[in-house]
Amino acid sequence: MTYKQFKIMRVLIASFISATVAMAIVYNNILLSLAGVLIGILFIFLVHKKTKAVLVDERIKSIGGKAARLTYTISTITIAFLSLMFTMTGKHTGQADYEMLGILLSYIALFNLALYSLSYKFISKKYGEADDE
Amino acid sequence: MTNKIKVFRAMRNMTQEDLADKIGVTRQTIIAIEKNKYVPSLELAFKIADEFNEKIENVFEYK
Repeated sequence: MTYKQFKIMRVLIASFISATVAMAIVYNNILLSLAGVLIGILFIFLVHKKTKAVLVDERIKSIGGKAARLTYTISTITIAFLSLMFTMTGKHTGQADYEMLGILLSYIALFNLALYSLSYKFISKKYGEADDE
Repeated sequence: MTNKIKVFRAMRNMTQEDLADKIGVTRQTIIAIEKNKYVPSLELAFKIADEFNEKIENVFEYK
């Protein structure tokens, strides 16, 4: 399968998933949407296997890395800022729900930071972090 | 960093897709390299030069 055929198949599968989920919402049937999504994932997997063209190369990986870093930075700062806002609002108004939400968001931000640090350390080791000699 | 990929391709009647298939990258990557928008890794640069049977310094130039 060529890259062009792969792109067409990808659009068809996405349309199939959207149509199934839309029908599931109309008929209020969660099983239909689950089945649609699972079949879609299976088809995408099969199409990937059948495609001979190169789908990922060093440029795409580099773009992915930069996009992931930008997403991490924006999401962590946003979550941390929201957590601060909710905690302060909760403390000022005396509403425990806001404060709880703020604390939960701060834990999510911390989890993000920890996960980034761990994956950075792991990947850095994989690519030969300088050892002290 | 500049390169002469387009020239070497033209000399060999090779399309961007042909070159991409031979060195195992996408056509978009070849386009980006030719337009000097993406600097390839050393490995990819060697692969491209090898494909043209040229030395790397004949294909790529550091300015």
